[in-house]
Amino acid sequence: MKTTGTENADRANFPQRPAASPFTAASQSTTPFLSSGPVVGSEAFAFRPAPPNAPQTTPSAPQTTRPYLSSGLMVGSEASGFRPTQPVRYNDPSIPRPPSSFVPPPTGTLQHHPTPQFFSTAQAPPPRTSPGQPVFPPPIRAPAGHVPSPPVYLHSQPQISSGQMGSPPQSINYVPSGRSVPPSSSDSLFSAPRSTLQPLQSAFPGYSSKSPNAVTQPPPVQSAPVFTHQGGYGPPPPATSTPFLAHQRGYVPPPPVAAPPAFYSREQMQHQGSGLPMGAVQGLTEDFSSLSLASVPGSLDPGLDSKVLPRPLDGDVEPKSFAEMYPLNCNSRYLRLTTSAIPNSQSLTSRWHLPLGAVVCPLAEAPEGEEVPIVNFATTGIIRCRRCRTYVNPYMTFTDGGRKFRCNICALLNDVPGDYFAQLDANGRRIDLNERPELTKGTVEFIAPAEYMVRPPMPPLYFFVIDVSISAVRSGMLEVVAQTIKSCLDRLPGFPRTQIGFITFDSSIHFYNMKSSLTQPQMMVVTDLDDIFVPLPDDLLVNLSESRSVVDVFLDSLPSMFQDNVNMESAFGPAIKAAFMVMNQLGGKMLIFQNTLPSLGVGRLRLRGDDLRVYGTDKEHTLRIPEDPFYKQMAADCTKYQIAVNVYALSDKYTDIASLGTLAKYTGGQIYYYPSFQSSIHKEKLRHELARDLTRETAWESVLRIRCGKGVRFTTYHGNFMLRSTDLIALPAVDCDKAYAMQMSLEETLLTTQTVYFQVALLYTSSSGERRIRVHTAAAPVVSELGEMYRQADTGAIISLFCRLAIEKTLSYKLEEARSSIQQRIVKAFREYRNLYAVQHRLGGRMIYPESLKFLPLYGLALCKSIPLRGGYADAQLDERCAAGHTMMALPVKNLLKLLYPNLVRVDEYLGKASSKPDELNISRLPVTAESLDSRGLYIYDDGLRFVIWFGKMLPPDIAMNLLGEDFATDFSRVILSERDSEMSRKLMEILKKFREIDPSYYQMNHLVRQGEQPREGFFLLTNLIEDQVGGMNGYIDWIQQIHRQVQQNA
Amino acid sequence: MVKLTMLARVTDGLPLAEGLDDGRDWQDAELYKQQIKALFKNLSRGQNEPSRMSVETGPYIFHYIIEGRVCYLTMCDRAYPKKLAFQYLEDLKNEFERVNGSQIETAARPYAFIKFDTFIQKTKKLYQDTRTQRNISKLNDELYEVHQIMTRNVQEVLGVGEKLDQVSQMSSRLTSESRMYADKARDLNRQALIRKWAPVAIVIGVVILLYWVRKKIW
Repeated sequence: MKTTGTENADRANFPQRPAASPFTAASQSTTPFLSSGPVVGSEAFAFRPAPPNAPQTTPSAPQTTRPYLSSGLMVGSEASGFRPTQPVRYNDPSIPRPPSSFVPPPTGTLQHHPTPQFFSTAQAPPPRTSPGQPVFPPPIRAPAGHVPSPPVYLHSQPQISSGQMGSPPQSINYVPSGRSVPPSSSDSLFSAPRSTLQPLQSAFPGYSSKSPNAVTQPPPVQSAPVFTHQGGYGPPPPATSTPFLAHQRGYVPPPPVAAPPAFYSREQMQHQGSGLPMGAVQGLTEDFSSLSLASVPGSLDPGLDSKVLPRPLDGDVEPKSFAEMYPLNCNSRYLRLTTSAIPNSQSLTSRWHLPLGAVVCPLAEAPEGEEVPIVNFATTGIIRCRRCRTYVNPYMTFTDGGRKFRCNICALLNDVPGDYFAQLDANGRRIDLNERPELTKGTVEFIAPAEYMVRPPMPPLYFFVIDVSISAVRSGMLEVVAQTIKSCLDRLPGFPRTQIGFITFDSSIHFYNMKSSLTQPQMMVVTDLDDIFVPLPDDLLVNLSESRSVVDVFLDSLPSMFQDNVNMESAFGPAIKAAFMVMNQLGGKMLIFQNTLPSLGVGRLRLRGDDLRVYGTDKEHTLRIPEDPFYKQMAADCTKYQIAVNVYALSDKYTDIASLGTLAKYTGGQIYYYPSFQSSIHKEKLRHELARDLTRETAWESVLRIRCGKGVRFTTYHGNFMLRSTDLIALPAVDCDKAYAMQMSLEETLLTTQTVYFQVALLYTSSSGERRIRVHTAAAPVVSELGEMYRQADTGAIISLFCRLAIEKTLSYKLEEARSSIQQRIVKAFREYRNLYAVQHRLGGRMIYPESLKFLPLYGLALCKSIPLRGGYADAQLDERCAAGHTMMALPVKNLLKLLYPNLVRVDEYLGKASSKPDELNISRLPVTAESLDSRGLYIYDDGLRFVIWFGKMLPPDIAMNLLGEDFATDFSRVILSERDSEMSRKLMEILKKFREIDPSYYQMNHLVRQGEQPREGFFLLTNLIEDQVGGMNGYIDWIQQIHRQVQQNA
Repeated sequence: MVKLTMLARVTDGLPLAEGLDDGRDWQDAELYKQQIKALFKNLSRGQNEPSRMSVETGPYIFHYIIEGRVCYLTMCDRAYPKKLAFQYLEDLKNEFERVNGSQIETAARPYAFIKFDTFIQKTKKLYQDTRTQRNISKLNDELYEVHQIMTRNVQEVLGVGEKLDQVSQMSSRLTSESRMYADKARDLNRQALIRKWAPVAIVIGVVILLYWVRKKIW
């Protein structure tokens, strides 16, 4: 028996326990493990830092162990059973603990191990009272009257094979062994009981050292597992020991230590609001998660159940402790650090292995009520440090009676200008603190005085460069674009200063005179592409409010004007040049609608296409970089003149996004890619995204700089922008949907400060014509321990940086190398982490990783399977790859994580319910794997960029009928989901609308897919089920195992 | 031809509005903008400038009017009729006062009335070509008298400030030094007095003393 038998035994025992249980006084449950996922957040379980000698219970207290709670699906179902027991209190011995369920880990197990020192300190006052009077030192209280409640036993695992525990000793395994009260029996269950004991013991040195004293203690001491077992058996023996102790000592009365196997993560303890001050706990605990991966010797079972693997089903979980530590910091939607603990030495940095840096989204949309306060230092001028130019912020300290302030970044003592002077109160705080948002808020906006302007604030300017070649007309693009622009004219920001202009092009370039006195626009055609010139000095770019009627007429007639155009050429390059010449006095946004591969004039591109032979060779990356230097040069010029370029690529053929995208990449713009655009299908998407692009609040002619404290320096910047000097990011236009990442390095070998401060400053012109400076300030502690760095890590920010680094790597290396670099860094980081703890805890065969990084492998896998990085030639079209790459370079953290690990939800049950309203929509996310798909269900897959609606084969026909009407039997590729006259259809549309509202930056188009309908199903859904093995790519389990193996090599 | 148009508050030199695409295709724009800013600073220092003036600079000429604490300034070619330029500024002034008159004092940020640029741009176009019928008629119109407006050189104007500064500095130095001199003179005077009469006083004192002593002893 490979230990698994014990679990079977447990299972047999558990159900009986409640009934047979003679214990009525108290039931104590310890939960050695709670996996991540919903459980952690939602359940305030009986988690508490149970000191090793704590769970000494009275004989009548049944103790149930809950060694393992799996995450994911199981947890979800379990949760309901557990909820009632949630309220947990300590130091209330009289109240029984709730019995909780014991779910034998199917195969893999995850554990949170507190470090020994935590235990030793947490139990500092050993709760040992008089020998005859055992108490639970910090008993956990469950709702009263819960005592007899049966332990919820949940075990739905089909396979109990899970022998994996055998070889790597781990706490969970002991539990069962301990249960078998007669030691001999336990021996029989365990192949090597003795060996299993050791790790745990060594894990609690303090505890083992105490045990000898305790041995003689008369109080009935029982280990949790034993107790549960006893529950089944009848009256509990006076004292039972934890299995390992018993084994080792030959079953001497054990130390008053019971069931130490409960390991809690700090998060969980926080959740409970334990009596200990958070700070203390943080200082004392070292926690990590581990995953048992070893397979049973001789068994074919892979040894790992996919259900136990950590999954971010709650979406992005930001580290909380950071914000709690520094409440004055700006919100994490503006600035996220990859780890909130800055290493104090270069050697420490080199052991971190993950990127050290920040992700900045300077204009992130603030929810209602959290608007950024605006500060106007009209006469004083903006208060800044005179040496490092840091803006005044909450971390600046005022001294000398308020006459001086010390810069938090460079520590220089500055004079306070007379107008800004305020006295200090007894605590050294300025008496006017409450009226000064810049001294109390991490995010403020300053009104910039004239010194911050090289010219008067520019008006919002939109210039449209529209392809009118035959394919643009045929696909319906022209019509949709004209309609959308027209519908947005009233909502363009910056009325009444907004400027607008148009150029259309095919093989020649057409300018339009929009002078306000005209009744309809005059078209001027320039055919000389080699020496392009602007036919009119002005009136090509007009004030929208004045020329509104002309613009309206133009947009109305645009589709019909080129209705019969049969021109197939595209003078894309010259058109951009012309637009540049018109715009360069003011700057602004250039929106290019492109439908045909540029074929004439400068910047013409050839069909270098997806050459299969190039893949896998050293030349592979050249496909992903612009072919013609014209594009990069043009982008540089545009940035210089404050022009941002947004490219809408709608071609049905190869259009060399790699080249076109360069324009957007270096001007802070955006690429929108609509492969094979057909207005009947993509109309809504283009309309929504164009409207959003035109109407969202935009910051013009801006520059971004991030400052940080002495000794740290930002070295590399990643995203869509151009660097103006070494650390100044030039952004002709920036909006809430763009984020930028940067990496930092330590300049000095040793940091002496306690805290490092970061300040992001964005100087921009708002659409209303005000020059403003948005300042985000944050502080982070400096640490000397690697463990602390890992504990404070932020997976979202790390993945954001990984993503950008990997995509940049694909521009100069093979895809394979970009993928393996991600894997290598994850492996290195985990290996380093393992070295920190594994030896100490003898967790030989287990995979361990910090709690904060539990999703890192999954996101890493998702990243490797994301469109820009996945597979090879056949797995994604080159254009799609490049477009996705450009998009992902700019996505804010939350959107990126959603794209990497999409929402998969089942909706047919919800739709079937008669009364439910959309508000009650409470659909839990499912793991993104084919196993989650039930052929009787209807699922929505939402990655933030699109919806895939999957119809199971055995979906009740009435649902499909209700949703699709007559179309349900036809080919889904041509079916458009629209609202029909049925409750169900309305509900579905309601759901989709709600999902869209969550993330308005892109329009999620519906793709209907029927199970088994190839190749659509494969293309839209199956290749995107990132946990599955698709093509040559690993599934989640294989990936984890691969990482684990690599971690162990040379560990 | 009108090249640049700028509006600023006279009291503190705060720029209020500026023509939209001023400075297009034109290399020295920055230099002249600097000059204009210096000019505004000069005005804000409260030097008593006439409310209408033309200032020559290089191949161009600045015309400005000051009214209601706002300075309306435009830069034209030298050949551009002065009359038209001032007419243009008058137009701007009327519209600006009509639209923003009440808020001029409270404006706290630079370019608070940047929205006015569309009007500037529009008006500028009307005045761009001196040969249009409209402008010719304006030129012939004797309503607006511009002959009295002083024309000076920009160096002079900008220099005036500096020179005045220097003079006032010098005079203040002179004042303080003369005061010092007066003090010293008074001091000296006193000393001379003392020096003159001290021996006499001592002699008299001695005589009195002797007299007193003799009386006491004898």
